[in-house]
Amino acid sequence: MELEDLKDLIELLKETDITELQIEKDGTKVKIKREKIFSSMEMSVHKSKAFQEKIVAETEEEAQRLATITSPIVGTFYRSPTPEAAPFVEVGIKVTKGQVLCIVEAMKLMNEIESDVDGVVVNALVENGQPVEYGEPLFLIKPVEASG
Amino acid sequence: MEIEHIKEKIKGDLGREIFFYKTVGSTNVIAAELAEKGAAEGVVVLADSQEKGKGRLGRFWISPPGVNIYMSIITRPAIDPEDATLLTVMTAVGCTIALRRVTSLNVTIKWPNDLMVSDKKIGGILTEMKTYPAKIIFAIVGIGINVNIDIDVFPDDVRKTATSIKNETGILSSRAEITAEILNEIDRWYRILKGMGKKILLTEWQRLTSTLGREVKVTIGKETFIGLAESLDDKGRLILRLPSGELKRVSTGDLTILR
Repeated sequence: MELEDLKDLIELLKETDITELQIEKDGTKVKIKREKIFSSMEMSVHKSKAFQEKIVAETEEEAQRLATITSPIVGTFYRSPTPEAAPFVEVGIKVTKGQVLCIVEAMKLMNEIESDVDGVVVNALVENGQPVEYGEPLFLIKPVEASG
Repeated sequence: MEIEHIKEKIKGDLGREIFFYKTVGSTNVIAAELAEKGAAEGVVVLADSQEKGKGRLGRFWISPPGVNIYMSIITRPAIDPEDATLLTVMTAVGCTIALRRVTSLNVTIKWPNDLMVSDKKIGGILTEMKTYPAKIIFAIVGIGINVNIDIDVFPDDVRKTATSIKNETGILSSRAEITAEILNEIDRWYRILKGMGKKILLTEWQRLTSTLGREVKVTIGKETFIGLAESLDDKGRLILRLPSGELKRVSTGDLTILR
């Protein structure tokens, strides 16, 4: 068997799913073994990478679609108007533009924070009574298209 | 209360237009409604009594008719929301100077803006602000002053911590005169604040306070801090020196003076 023949054989095998081939010719024994598992792992890595990229892309797209309500002042965050009252909003509820979501207090200055979009509250990021910083995200809201 | 008498004495922009009500739920609520409808800066809501006078976090301000001052000022300051706490500093300073002038009482400020006479509260300030999205649309400065109220009217627990001008001086005062004096003095400090006079304002607050240099307890939700009230930062927040020597900046909470 010529070297060229061997090369051709290897090339041929690459295009198939055959992982092992043994040939005996004129007293020469050739055994070609391919680690298919390697190739399939490689495939799966590629696949999962692509999948991850897709997820990242989707998350970014999602984040771009969500409105983030941030604190305009440093202060204390309150989810309800008084300690006994129900929260202004809960996760999952619909809010309208201009609706009060929470209060941030600093030095007896009560800052009512309103939603700047019509949408659904998808995440409340701060616990009641916690200090918040300037620009700290408070709520994530998924905007909904105004109907009619 | 003679509204015309107040208007005659008004020197600045605050109080040029006054909406007077015999009784309201809360002057802050009425003022916010007017501001929503486009009422100009300086418009004042004054009431003879309030059914739901607002305190901090849903607490009530005792507001019977015929004796006290309950008013709210609409402001629309072109300042950063981060500096809005200075509105409460400004109001405390204005009220204290006005009350000292009219009553000769040694009125002092308890951080951040309680008006005190001999460690008892004679007046309170509650500011409510609307921002959108990160700009001040309006801020309602609410002021309650215990003028001629008989402190026997207060519930027992309030009587221990509150007083009135009449209780301290023994005489009845003109609510109209005090109202006008307060509006004029706040007007003056508002101009200073808007004219980049933050430092002057904070220095004046420090001159008028009885909190700095005292050992205080601050309760913020479930947390309590005890320390020395050392100074103010550039927004009027209190800097506490904790027993560990560590400095803690406080922007909210209930403050009690220990000694």
